Amino acid sequence: MHRIGVDIGGTFTDFALFDAEGGRMAIHKQLTTPRDPSAAVLEGVATLLARSGVAIDDVQDIVHGTTLVTNSVIERRGAVTGMLTTEGFRDILDMGFESRYDLYDLRLRFPAPLVPRRLRAEVGERVRADGSVERKLDKDSVRAAVTRLRSKGKIEALAVCLLHSYANPAHEKAIRTLVAREFPDLYVSISSDVFPNMREFERWTTTTVNAFTQPMFDRYLKRLEDGLKGQGFAGRVYIMTSSGGTVTTETARRYPVRALESGPAAGALMSAFHGRTLGLDSVLAFDMGGTTAKGALIRGGAPLKKYMMEVARVHEFKRGSGLPVRIPVIDMIEIGSGGGSLAGVDERGLLRVGPRSASADPGPACYGRGGTGATLTDANLVLGYLDAGFFLGGTMRLDKAAAERAIRAAVAKPLSLTLARAAWGIHEVANEDVARAFRIHASERGFDYRGSSMVAFGGSGPVHAMAIARKLKIPRVVFPVGAGVMSALGLLASPLSFEVARSRRVHVEDLDAQGFAAELARLIDEASGFLKRAGTPASDIAVTLRLDMRYQGQGHDIEVTLPPSDDLAATFRALPKIFADTYAETYLVSFLDEPVEIINWKVEATGPAPVFATGYSLGEGRQGDAAAAVKGTRPVYLAEAGAYVDVPVYDRYALSPGASLAGPAIVEERESTCVIGPGDRAAVDARYNLVAELARKED
Amino acid sequence: MARNAPDSFDAVSLGILWDRLISLTDEIVSTLVRTSFSTIVSESYDLSCVVLDAEANSIAQGTMSIPVFIGSAPVTARHMLNRFPPETLKPGDVIFTNDPWLGTGHLFDVTMMRPVFRDGRIVAYTMSITHLPDIGGTGFGSAATEIYQEGLRFPIGKIADAGRIDERLIELVRANVRVPEQVVGDLMANVACNEVGGRQVLEFMDEYGIDDLGPLSRAIREQSEKAMREKIAGLKPGIYRNRIELEGLDQPIRFACRIEVKGDRIHVDFDGTGPCVRAGINVPFCYAHAMSLYSIKTLTLPSIPNNAGMTAPITVSAPVGCILNAQPPFATGGRHAMGHFVTPLIYGALAKAAPDRVQADSGMMNLVTFQGRHRNGRGVSTIYFAAGGYGALDGTDGVSTVPHPSNMAVVPVEVWETITSTTIERKNLLPDSGGAGKSRGGLGQEVVLRNDSGSPMTLLGMGNRTQFPARGLFGGGDGSLRVHALDGVPVNAKARIEMPPGARVTVREAGAGGFGDPRKRPVETVLSDVLDGFVTSKGALRDYGVKVDLRSGTAERVAAKPKAAAVHRGAKGKRA
Repeated sequence: MHRIGVDIGGTFTDFALFDAEGGRMAIHKQLTTPRDPSAAVLEGVATLLARSGVAIDDVQDIVHGTTLVTNSVIERRGAVTGMLTTEGFRDILDMGFESRYDLYDLRLRFPAPLVPRRLRAEVGERVRADGSVERKLDKDSVRAAVTRLRSKGKIEALAVCLLHSYANPAHEKAIRTLVAREFPDLYVSISSDVFPNMREFERWTTTTVNAFTQPMFDRYLKRLEDGLKGQGFAGRVYIMTSSGGTVTTETARRYPVRALESGPAAGALMSAFHGRTLGLDSVLAFDMGGTTAKGALIRGGAPLKKYMMEVARVHEFKRGSGLPVRIPVIDMIEIGSGGGSLAGVDERGLLRVGPRSASADPGPACYGRGGTGATLTDANLVLGYLDAGFFLGGTMRLDKAAAERAIRAAVAKPLSLTLARAAWGIHEVANEDVARAFRIHASERGFDYRGSSMVAFGGSGPVHAMAIARKLKIPRVVFPVGAGVMSALGLLASPLSFEVARSRRVHVEDLDAQGFAAELARLIDEASGFLKRAGTPASDIAVTLRLDMRYQGQGHDIEVTLPPSDDLAATFRALPKIFADTYAETYLVSFLDEPVEIINWKVEATGPAPVFATGYSLGEGRQGDAAAAVKGTRPVYLAEAGAYVDVPVYDRYALSPGASLAGPAIVEERESTCVIGPGDRAAVDARYNLVAELARKED
Repeated sequence: MARNAPDSFDAVSLGILWDRLISLTDEIVSTLVRTSFSTIVSESYDLSCVVLDAEANSIAQGTMSIPVFIGSAPVTARHMLNRFPPETLKPGDVIFTNDPWLGTGHLFDVTMMRPVFRDGRIVAYTMSITHLPDIGGTGFGSAATEIYQEGLRFPIGKIADAGRIDERLIELVRANVRVPEQVVGDLMANVACNEVGGRQVLEFMDEYGIDDLGPLSRAIREQSEKAMREKIAGLKPGIYRNRIELEGLDQPIRFACRIEVKGDRIHVDFDGTGPCVRAGINVPFCYAHAMSLYSIKTLTLPSIPNNAGMTAPITVSAPVGCILNAQPPFATGGRHAMGHFVTPLIYGALAKAAPDRVQADSGMMNLVTFQGRHRNGRGVSTIYFAAGGYGALDGTDGVSTVPHPSNMAVVPVEVWETITSTTIERKNLLPDSGGAGKSRGGLGQEVVLRNDSGSPMTLLGMGNRTQFPARGLFGGGDGSLRVHALDGVPVNAKARIEMPPGARVTVREAGAGGFGDPRKRPVETVLSDVLDGFVTSKGALRDYGVKVDLRSGTAERVAAKPKAAAVHRGAKGKRA
């Protein structure tokens, strides 16, 4: 049986075909078709199958990751969406956090709500914090509001957002029922279903994202499923979520918001997979693409997670300048450093790289598409890290003279630097920016990365990985096979999973073991239901229980993972100690004599791990030592020497297990280039990964 | 990078080393946050960490540092080194103080400094500053009439001597504060983060082969100073004045300034500012100084990192004894309530010097303390925060409900109701509250809270802008005033209010000032504001001279001159 992973990115759609029995892998890459992304998917699947000689009815499932949902929010191309709120609270979306994310920039920008104020209406109802009803739902006010929003506002989707609906969803559900009956063509998202967490601004914003993207995503999935069926596909399509698990298309239609950032999540998940197979306990996943770099921390084989992300940042990728969304998500950093990042002079009069980007169009100066700005890719070309004749495997010729002109004009001249020093400066500043982001991210989470390994991927990741690892004192970098289609591979490694998280704020001393167990049992049923409906037998479902807890009066919660146990009463008795232990780990401080509260209850149900393995060759698998894989040499700028030095260039696809090489060296593959520094050593392991060890400092 | 880094740096190496130093201080900050008990530190980032060179020049400061900490570190460091000369210091010493006049203006902020030794000599200092959850005395607020009532005051001393914590001092703190574990925990977090910081500085020096931070420090400061001087030189030179009135205890308090922009230097003088008052709202000079630096930085080089070079071209003075140079024993606990107005004072003065950069007045934030008993029997003592509008800028409308220059984050309605057992009946924007202008001021809001706890509650307010609105610039209108009301009857926004069960408190947050002539605001923008309800049809006609037909969704400019309801003000930079 075969499985296919398909990941749609901004520029390329990536495919991976895995043969579970034969342990074979094939990959494919083709341009994304922005107008209808399903076109590239359907065409690519057909191409890949034909090339591999596999019949489509031999394919069991297709796992799909996409930036479609994210892009529709960024580009504001979603449905005309209306919103209903509790009377008196129509303006919550405009008010936001009532906070500045940058203290010095007077012109800081905030994202406009997805639903403009004129398309928000209030309905008569009120639920109290404890879930009791103060004012019954006025159904006539609902009818009147929806009628008006539809006739005057022409809305296609509706977000229903009432106060305290996480504690009592009855009114939101009643509205959903009413609208389904009387306005059947409207798409409806209710906040208690999308993510039933306390904190109205975030929950409501999340619900508007869901509503805004739902019609588009629904139509897309229909086109995709119909198209695949037309090709003879009889298996199932799964959609990757931001948390690193997959869901059925039925679930994805209901919660498109959970598919935000699903591609990057798959990349982090694949890094975790590599970490597990290589026996690495802690891993930094590092992905650098055209406009941004992304990073994730992996501990004990799993990426760190969180429940808050921002989408569509409007101000230089700054934290706080996007729409806050609460969903389970792999905890990733995003840095405005990518191949297209523009270099220039900052306010201090020093070199700066990004966050402004030349993007893919017009792209770096060396693309020869009219871009004149000096980008990171231009610098990497001038430094010899990239080969003008072997970009994307030689399918795209780079213009080195244009890169040199751009760097001279934007950097070398204004800062009185030589061309080589300017180019190296651009490269090195990007390295520093990424290293800094990792340091702060790790430090905020108490993650000790020294001794970790880095897994590097993305078009530009392998060019920068060794230098960044050196700055972070990380001794080892893994360049996995298929780094250019990492997310597509990660999709195949993702299990079916669904997480529910509900706010119910309660003092531990006010609870008893029975009430505690009952609350969790309800959530376990709800989360498992999504898997059972997808055909997973109950015995194959594993659940993870987590609680957000805090000392009363403290502003921040900490997440406590409960030990796996069938005896929830015993877990309840151990709860104070479990909390105190986690608290001490997180904050490095001793126990406080204060009452403890539970804020959020979280249950994640996970299906069995899919059959997946690495260890395939994507090349001809020629045998022989590394010397046979040398394609030639080229002058490469080495900072240690402060000069260009002739460095051997290896063909990644000609390197087989056991081959080893010493830096300085360049290892080229179709989608990327690994730069190995002087003194570093790299070897190909049994799974065809290139594993590089950094030179130890002599002193 | 090669060993023995050179004494001169190019644009590549200087940028990299500099950013690395800032990132190192950011890591010290995150250690501080993770080791702190109190929410003030971890949620509001009311803290800072600074790295200073061996001569006590600040060279890097945590990115998230709040304005009050700009420029204060080197001054505090000098005071500390006068008391404990460097040659007397030992590894493991930690010097500290919370003296308002040596630190940051009130007793709540503790400043700690630790020397960093390398091969037996001091190569740097690290410093941390945090707002403690309590310091004894009357508690956080402006209730005190003298500093002696405000809590413990520690002159410069050592909290650790050669690594040994002064246990007597800790006992003293423990016996004098309300939440001893949190306060002592936060003191220890400061000690710990400075130790971590010292290690980080040494690692940095080893990594880049730097034996002496002096040349790098000089390069960073010179580069910053140069960039700042260039920006100042780009301002229109001249002498600019401004005067504003603020609500005081019984009568208004006057702030005045005279700012001289001359070549590449700026001098701010607060001559003409009124005297101190017998309440905890007096401002020690260090705070007025920091707010001045902050204000000028936002108008010139907002993104430049804070360090001693960036502040060098800016000097500040204030007559001794005026409320912006308060002397002991005047109380200073709520010095920020007054001190924040230094920013609009300076923006108003510099309007003509930097018309494309200044911001019209903001509605500012409002803090109301609620004390009482939760329906579940537990005690309640918590602060409700709500923001007024954010001032308009040239070409940019002010954002609604965003504070300036201070910063906080709202407590969500759902969280607030859960922790207090009060009910928020409504929380909505106030149409027409933003000052009219070519760019409109940000809107204020109205919040109505009902006491459903079943017990009486006490409210302590510190509200401003109830008499003096946020003013517009260059013809822009003023924002609406702040109002506190109990069961519909307006009350003093600075008073203590008893709120019986079932009673309602209304808080109307001030709108912000507009920027530029409202007649120049495009008709379609006015129409869009009316369709979204940010401006009413009436307001559009009155303030913008635009008649809106809601039925057809069209609008036209009718009056050549709107009947101005608000007082418009030109950019005279001077005003009573």
